[in-house]
Amino acid sequence: MSKLSLGRKVSSNKLSSWVEPSFGDLLSGSDLNSFHLKKGASSGETKSKSRPPTADSKSQRPSKRRATCQASEPQCPSGRDLTQGGQDEPWVDKHSPSSQAELAVHKKKVEEVENWLKSHLDHKLENKGGAILLLTGPSGCGKTATIQVLAQELGCRVQEWYNPTTVSEFRTEDSFKETFDPESRFNGFHGISQTAAFQEFLLRANKYSRLQMIGDSGTSDRKVILVEDLPNQFYRQPASLHGILRRFVTTGRCPLVFIISDSLSGDSSSRRLFPRDVQEELGICNISFNPVAPTSMMKVLSRIVAQEAAKSGGRVSVPDKAALDLLCTGSSGDIRSAINSLQFSSLTDFSLEGSLWAPKKGKALSSKGLSKPRGKGKSSKGPDKQDSDQAIGGKDASLFLFRALGKILYCKRENDTDAKGPSLPAHLSEHQRDTLLVDPELVVEKSHMSGELFNLYLQQNYPEFFSDVDDVARASEYLSDSDFLTADWSSRSTMREYGSSVATRGLIHSNSSRARADSQGSMGFRPLHKPHWLLVDKKYRENCQAAQSLFTSYCLTPLGLQTELLPYLAQLTNPMRNQAQIAFIQDVGRLPLRRYPGRLKLEALTDRDPGMLDIDSEEEEEPAVPSSAPIVSSSSGQGEPDGSDDSALASSQGTVGDLPASQPQPTTSQALLESEEFVIEEYDSD
Amino acid sequence: MSLWVDKYRPTSLGKLDYHKEQANQLKNLVQCGDFPHLLVYGPSGAGKKTRIMCLLRELYGPGVEKLRIEHQSITAPSKKKIEINTIASNYHLEVNASDAGNSDRVVIQELIKTVAQSQQIQSSTQKEFKVVLLTEVDRLTKDAQHALRRTMEKYMSTCRLILCCNSTSKVIAPIRSRCLAVRVPLPSVEEVCSVLTGVCRKEGLLLPGELAKQIAEKSGRNLRKALLMCEACRVQQYPFSSDQDIPETDWEVYLRETANAIVSQQSPQRLLEVRARLYELLTHCIPPEIIIKGLVSELLSNCDGHLKAEVAQLAAYYEHRLQLGSKAIYHLEAFVAKFMAIYKKFMEDGLMA
Amino acid sequence: MQAFLKGASIQSTKPQKDKAAGPSGEKKNKPVPWVEKYRPKCVDEVAFQEEVVAVLKKSLEGADLPNLLFYGPPGTGKTSTILAAARELYGPELYRQRVLELNASDERGIQVIREKVKNFAQLTVAGTRTDGKPCPPFKIIILDEADSMTNAAQAALRRTMEKESRTTRFCLICNYVSRIIEPLTSRCSKFRFKPLDDQIQEERLVEICEKENLKYTKEAIAALVKVSEGDLRKAITFLQSTARLNGEKDITESIVIEIAGVVPTKMLNNLLQICYSSTFDKLEIAVKNMIDEGYAATQIISQLHDMIIEESLSDRQKSAITEKMAEVDKCLADGADEYLQMMSLCSVIMQQASQSN
Repeated sequence: MSKLSLGRKVSSNKLSSWVEPSFGDLLSGSDLNSFHLKKGASSGETKSKSRPPTADSKSQRPSKRRATCQASEPQCPSGRDLTQGGQDEPWVDKHSPSSQAELAVHKKKVEEVENWLKSHLDHKLENKGGAILLLTGPSGCGKTATIQVLAQELGCRVQEWYNPTTVSEFRTEDSFKETFDPESRFNGFHGISQTAAFQEFLLRANKYSRLQMIGDSGTSDRKVILVEDLPNQFYRQPASLHGILRRFVTTGRCPLVFIISDSLSGDSSSRRLFPRDVQEELGICNISFNPVAPTSMMKVLSRIVAQEAAKSGGRVSVPDKAALDLLCTGSSGDIRSAINSLQFSSLTDFSLEGSLWAPKKGKALSSKGLSKPRGKGKSSKGPDKQDSDQAIGGKDASLFLFRALGKILYCKRENDTDAKGPSLPAHLSEHQRDTLLVDPELVVEKSHMSGELFNLYLQQNYPEFFSDVDDVARASEYLSDSDFLTADWSSRSTMREYGSSVATRGLIHSNSSRARADSQGSMGFRPLHKPHWLLVDKKYRENCQAAQSLFTSYCLTPLGLQTELLPYLAQLTNPMRNQAQIAFIQDVGRLPLRRYPGRLKLEALTDRDPGMLDIDSEEEEEPAVPSSAPIVSSSSGQGEPDGSDDSALASSQGTVGDLPASQPQPTTSQALLESEEFVIEEYDSD
Repeated sequence: MSLWVDKYRPTSLGKLDYHKEQANQLKNLVQCGDFPHLLVYGPSGAGKKTRIMCLLRELYGPGVEKLRIEHQSITAPSKKKIEINTIASNYHLEVNASDAGNSDRVVIQELIKTVAQSQQIQSSTQKEFKVVLLTEVDRLTKDAQHALRRTMEKYMSTCRLILCCNSTSKVIAPIRSRCLAVRVPLPSVEEVCSVLTGVCRKEGLLLPGELAKQIAEKSGRNLRKALLMCEACRVQQYPFSSDQDIPETDWEVYLRETANAIVSQQSPQRLLEVRARLYELLTHCIPPEIIIKGLVSELLSNCDGHLKAEVAQLAAYYEHRLQLGSKAIYHLEAFVAKFMAIYKKFMEDGLMA
Repeated sequence: MQAFLKGASIQSTKPQKDKAAGPSGEKKNKPVPWVEKYRPKCVDEVAFQEEVVAVLKKSLEGADLPNLLFYGPPGTGKTSTILAAARELYGPELYRQRVLELNASDERGIQVIREKVKNFAQLTVAGTRTDGKPCPPFKIIILDEADSMTNAAQAALRRTMEKESRTTRFCLICNYVSRIIEPLTSRCSKFRFKPLDDQIQEERLVEICEKENLKYTKEAIAALVKVSEGDLRKAITFLQSTARLNGEKDITESIVIEIAGVVPTKMLNNLLQICYSSTFDKLEIAVKNMIDEGYAATQIISQLHDMIIEESLSDRQKSAITEKMAEVDKCLADGADEYLQMMSLCSVIMQQASQSN
């Protein structure tokens, strides 16, 4: 979200003018129309009337406001005074939660944050040094709101860092005036880099706090530092951030809260900025938020609607329950976007369906644009609209992965057997297939994930759908081909689409038991699962690295170490080892022999799981930084396959149905998807 | 108490147990004063490292045995920090640059530069060069190998390289042509036996000749493995009996069971089970290429005639892809599935006939 | 790939210079790579390239040189020839300031080449040597490994060549003339260097052996010639290596073979026999054994290739086998496992052999 919200936060007075004109324009547009209709005045005149306000908003604002109000609610001049402020202010701000009860965040999470804040606010006096909290989660899940609300309830101020864009903006910002006394410090700020400014900010915030403390040690000086958008520099050089944080931890006096959004396409900035080891070193507490659950979102939306309806005296067009439902699902857990859509839809007189699209589309596009712009994501927007079948699916990526996989694996075929085309010659008759009803490329494209990741999902699930070994062999061959096609990183961007095409079409074709439309009835429901490979691969790399670092003194190559030394060390009773080594040997050197090969516990994929992961380069790079995001609890883990795999399976199946009630867990494998650029440095020849 | 492998490692060229002729040649090399870059190659467990350490000792005296493990951090031109472990004495520096993944080139250049430019601390040694020992050269990226070739020339006056690898196939020709290649074959079964017996004697144990031979054969002439096996035997049972079981590593047993699972049933369900087992092996740090090799040798023993040739082709095909591809499981699984298919067909044909 | 082999000459020259400059006290026994030591001093000494030498001598008499392009396999004397020619032209004193040797592996960017060439070419030079003898009024720029220059760099060179033609002559050296862009080749007189004849190599090696007081057997020299495949530099390097390893003893065939990493013919014959007439299990053991001995699969394949060509198989069988060899070689270059690749190759040979022709 960072940039979207950045723009909004940089200066709140800008915000209103930034958001409003778009509404205003639209409204003045309708205003225009109404003028046309009612007065029948010449268009030139109306234009000259309505234009100037938009161009020069500062001076003529009031008049324009009046105009917009009139336009949208021409029938209610009386309600104008009431709603004037409300109309200008986005509902998101207007209805920002003021108490814990109003938060749409899961209670446990709120509690967690509250506990942390409480404990660290109190410990402050004991001079324990700065404590750092890291809040992560998708955008619009209420991270900032939680902090604001809690700070308010705990009676402490929130001091926030804003990326300075220009000096003038700096000046207008109240909190900055507070932080840096303008006359002495400010001029020096011109040349300072953002990084330096950030450091100044942190340290100064400390100092300020202490001075205050000497004066009056009331509760009012309790303070939380909040950092939402970090200077860009840090994204390139996380190390410099770590340096600053190290200093903060030793010298700081008040809690510091970082809020970092996981962007949908998995550029895991939080993991790059705060790698595991740094988190541990600095004692950073990481609380990760989930997307807002549909139920709580529903509650909030209904509340807002009720309030607005009451305020406007029933003149705001109140969306009905079904429409709210649509909004909820459409926003995939992003409450901010849901409220924005709500405001927009209830403001206008357009039909609800039509209006729902516009904000959603804008949002989707901008979020795509913010993260890695992927051509696929955008291009898929167009057809989505037309395809009525996908009206919901297209909006809700999470719904679609499940269905996308199903489409490929169940591969529905057309049922007209009246051989219209020439059929294959006899020796190729085994390759005869009925016409497909799905377009595999389109399915992958709409799943909003990279072909490679989609293939992983397919690979995890395809054997269940096959009955013949020959078919499986052929299918696996296609998957192998597909991986081979995308093997070379330099051509990967071009090849990945071919790769996914080969994999999906190959899989569909090779399933000979589903070659005919009429032979497809027998397939019952099969649960789908999330791919294991990512986890296994990560584990493999981690273990290898651990082996290397723990047993450096043996001076062995990784191969010798992993396949010879470790397994035998497990069989020897050699006392010259430390605890970590022993644990590792027991863990890795031993395999569960003679037990029936337990299936790894599978995590079922539900129709709620979003396909929002993006792996670009989780392969072939150095082991990813271990991440802290919630890892599939049923991981293959330490090679302790659950003996009772049947029950595991059953239980995971059980969750398929009732998941919507709980919060969806979108970050299962995202944790593993560290992308690290493949840097080709210039080789300076001397 | 250290492992037998380390405890009884020979420390001078004269004390090496086998390939004595070669040891002599290396001695000559040291004495003639004109020390070239070396490329030492041979299979794992043949004693390359031991030989190199002996050679270094011959060059510099016992000082090279004072090793210290250092954690170096190198900053790439792109400001990226690379962490790498090195093992160093006053005279030499050992590094496995392939640990650094794609940044191996920077590591090599920087390390060699540092070594070459730093002055020899003690001028007492008559050698005016230091040695950089690079292990696993065959796993370096091509980029790094090309850089290496330049670096070799540039710092020839103050620094010699000893490159250590399993096979020269993956070392680019320009590097090969700049080095004196030293091949270290695996010891023969007899040589392994005599080393085992010798070690046991020093431990005060009596190793029956029969058992020694079995260990040697089972280890595939890999001396390190043989010694580890022997020590495991000791833990398992002493006094030795000539027909005792030689402990195998868990993963080997597990792999064999996996192969049996493949042979005993061919179905999509079984494939899923096998996949789970493969994952299991991977999480226990067994590299995919080792898995496929192990599977092949187990599977080959289960089929006959022309089927073997076919399986060998398959294995080569998928192992190659595994090296190039990014996700090993696709290729491992494709190999297993393919094998299942042809094996099933073979069995069905057999029944029909 | 072969282009890189060229670079060995640099390895040999650099330490020499470095050591000469170095403060080290013991100068007497400075080991010089024999490749440098026995480099031909004048054009006449260049072995075996009679045609080239003849043409070159003619131009030397006229004290003028065209732009040159030398191409041919590694170790055939391309660099030696131009160095010798330059030495003859300028004599030892002027040599240093008149000749610029650029190794493409050093700095191959366009910018660098332009810069260096420009700086070097700017100065006009006199037509006489310090000792009064006439010498051509131009300088020579030697571009080694020109085929590894990018096309852009080559194109840039084209312009430079014309601009500086008054004061400078270029000598491009490469392994594959096809990798030099057309406009460049058309500006140069091309000379092809052919692989050295065994006879010539032998003579040279023997000559060196005698100068170095080495004891050798005839077979050893023959083996050296054989393993070096027409590359004299390789042969001399091997000879020096064997001498260093061997100390005072005779240089024998076996040690030469060992140094070169060549697989003994006996072993390969054995392998082929197994392929022809024995079981798969035996084949497995044989291949395993070869890998265990540490022989590189690429080496085995290239030797096996030569043998297969000579075998009494039908053309069809041979082509099937060699095709597989090509495939295996590619896979090996990609880093595939040696054992598995060898197994797959041998099983193809076995299959082919079992089909009666």
